[in-house]
Amino acid sequence: MSMMGANVYILGGAQTDFSRNWMKEGKGVIALLREVIDDGLEDIGLTYDDIVRLNEQARVACFVGNFIGEYFVDQGHLGALLTEVHPAFYGVPSSRYEAACASGSAAIDAAITKIRAQDYDLALVIGWELMKTVDAKSCGDFLGRAAFYADEAQGIDFPFPKLFGRLADEIIQKYNLDAERFLDNLAKISVKNYSNAKRNPNAQTRKWFISEQEAKDRGTPTNPRVGGLLGVTDCSQITDGAAFVALASERFVKEYFSSDDYPVIMGWGHRVAPMKFCKKIQEATSSVFILPWTRQAVLDAYNRANLKVTDIDFFETHDCFTSSEYAAISAFGITEPGKEFEAIESGSIMFDGEHPINPSGGLIGCGHPVGATGVRMLLDLYKQLAGRAGSYQVRKADNGLMLNIGGSATTNYVFIVGRKEE
Amino acid sequence: MRIGTVTVIGANGTMGCGVAGIFASFGDAKVYMIAREIEKAAMAKEKAALSVKAQAIEYNLIPRTYDDLAECVSKSDLVFESVAEDEDLKKEIYSQLSKHLKPHVIFGTGTSGLSINELSAVLDDTAKRRFMGIHFFNPPYRMTLCEVIPSRYTDPSVLEGVKAYLRSVLHRDVVQVKDEPAFLANRIGFQFINEALQQAERHKDKGGIDYIDSIMGPFTGRSMAPLVTSDFVGLDVHKAIVDNIYNNTHDFAHHTFDMPRFALDLVSKGHIGRKAGSGLYKRIVNDDGSRIVYVYDIATGTYRPIYEYSFRFAEAMKARLRVGDYEGAFEQLLSDDSREANICVESLIKYAIYGVAMGKAIGEDVNSADAVMATGFNWVPPLALIDAFGGVDIFREIALERLPKGFFEMVDVEGILSDIPSSRYDFRPFFKAR
Repeated sequence: MSMMGANVYILGGAQTDFSRNWMKEGKGVIALLREVIDDGLEDIGLTYDDIVRLNEQARVACFVGNFIGEYFVDQGHLGALLTEVHPAFYGVPSSRYEAACASGSAAIDAAITKIRAQDYDLALVIGWELMKTVDAKSCGDFLGRAAFYADEAQGIDFPFPKLFGRLADEIIQKYNLDAERFLDNLAKISVKNYSNAKRNPNAQTRKWFISEQEAKDRGTPTNPRVGGLLGVTDCSQITDGAAFVALASERFVKEYFSSDDYPVIMGWGHRVAPMKFCKKIQEATSSVFILPWTRQAVLDAYNRANLKVTDIDFFETHDCFTSSEYAAISAFGITEPGKEFEAIESGSIMFDGEHPINPSGGLIGCGHPVGATGVRMLLDLYKQLAGRAGSYQVRKADNGLMLNIGGSATTNYVFIVGRKEE
Repeated sequence: MRIGTVTVIGANGTMGCGVAGIFASFGDAKVYMIAREIEKAAMAKEKAALSVKAQAIEYNLIPRTYDDLAECVSKSDLVFESVAEDEDLKKEIYSQLSKHLKPHVIFGTGTSGLSINELSAVLDDTAKRRFMGIHFFNPPYRMTLCEVIPSRYTDPSVLEGVKAYLRSVLHRDVVQVKDEPAFLANRIGFQFINEALQQAERHKDKGGIDYIDSIMGPFTGRSMAPLVTSDFVGLDVHKAIVDNIYNNTHDFAHHTFDMPRFALDLVSKGHIGRKAGSGLYKRIVNDDGSRIVYVYDIATGTYRPIYEYSFRFAEAMKARLRVGDYEGAFEQLLSDDSREANICVESLIKYAIYGVAMGKAIGEDVNSADAVMATGFNWVPPLALIDAFGGVDIFREIALERLPKGFFEMVDVEGILSDIPSSRYDFRPFFKAR
């Protein structure tokens, strides 16, 4: 029996095509939001008139996930901004939630809570980020605010690749790994995610080329090193995009739809690790896990869902860098800590493997508009569960788990989606 | 179909080089890159790897000259010919090659418009069955369209094998088209571009080239205005394509493929576009390094700085597109009765009608027109444009209202618009707010 209490249903949603560059199209955030909300409402079979009606009864609210629109598009107050998208949002409760790259999950968390508490019947969750408004170096600097900026990012070019490069170093050291074999395994993770993205019609890299050789050949003009041992092929993308999911109460589902056969939230985990990377690593010396709070967030979700790793059919994880996906493998419990390479070398995490990770392509393949990522992950969990993932549908999808992290694995959010218990 | 080794003939050309990169990367094939001189082939090798952003594929690329052609071809599973668009030159190479081809070889030409049936005439019977047009677009890494054109001799099972290989291994958007002059994408695209050129001449007193480009800019569903596109690909290429169509086809748009006098003059003087430094446009670099774009003024026969046109309808459309209000943008376009808005509406309607007609006539079906225009030109494709107007019923009404009566006497619009589906493409990304 799940410990979640009242059921929270996922009705569906939409994401934008992550290969688009909105500034090149001459379009701004309102165009982005209008598109994803139009498509999302159409997907779940509701209209703006329905939103107006529900709002008259105080049954609907909006939850916006965004990391740092103040820098990328000079705009704050992002909950209220929805009123510029459509007058149907006049009067609808709406706030913005922020937890760096886990902002989308912070919005989902709030939405789940409000539905479970029966404050509202319908929660519209919208995550977005426009990042191609600035050059890559400024983008890296803006994102540095997800670390402890003054100590870890200020005046440093591309601080995050460097932090996750250090994570790679720490993994090698902690588990006494052969560096070359470890780096080859990171290359395999990258190639897997690019290759999965080829199946996903909304993935940023779906037309890009990569090969294992190219990913292994770090330090070349086409794959320069960007952070310690890591090359550009170990990094997620700079992406423009938005994602939308709608969550609803049982009462709403029964009232509006002929069937209640929608995926539900089974469990969640939310743990925050020390913000500074050096403190994380210092604290982790007493644990067998390199990221103990990430592991704890996963365990919390398993416990709340009353599920274990063998019940999970596929994972969407936060591969902002290949080293973060590597560490996630043991955090999920797929292998023991230190033995992550087994799951990579055996092909277990491949699309057709026993524990597929990132069938969507993940952040490396599908793209990483930071505030949208958590919402995009939940949408992908929904699509797999509902059998609507099309060309990237996995074989079995009764339970799916997502891990969305902010900073250098500082904020850790986990959600498990499954089927309602009869 | 296993393609382990490929020979690209003319590999130092823009297309040959880009295509070699595609075979060597997605196809993981060993590619012999044939050029006249080994230095050129070696330079092309570097360019090919950079074109797919992966230096690691260099181990698959082998520079060679025509001295080694017979040997390379005899080892190849696929031979891709990408030499200059000269029928006699191509035929001469084919007759040299014929005896060296492996029996199972696939032989493709990258011609952008010569007849595949004609070209295959010099091949022996075995080679004929394995020969076809494989038409990539520039640059191939970014433009994923691949038109595949069988001749009347091409073995259907070989054809299907090649299409499957291009689609699933090379990740191309594959469209099979009939052996018609310029095939499908360029037939539709250059109809629009050449008619824009004719319009520029007709409206030379309003400014001509930059006037028309300001009316049909990116806000009408493309990344580049039509005459900027012509300048970019080169008026020489433009001329070769439209002359071929004009001389060898006779559809209702026949007169729109006639290249205007002023453009022929520019070609004869060598002003063929960006690659020559001047053409329809010209970039002037000032002493301080700043750049000004000049345009060829048809009325005076001189280059002058471009005008910053500001048409009410265009500005209103851009303002709507900026906030993602596509319906509002079209309302603005259709409710404006200026000469410029009328030119714009008429051109868009004619493009959609011609595209649909050609998709049905030359492609696999009506959807082919959408696939080629979206993935070969990056323009809003015809069916998606009809969707943007509000669907086929509304589109038909608008066409009746806005096109001259004479058009309907010439063209069976009703027939062309019958039985057409919604587009498989989302029109929204194509309309730029600029």
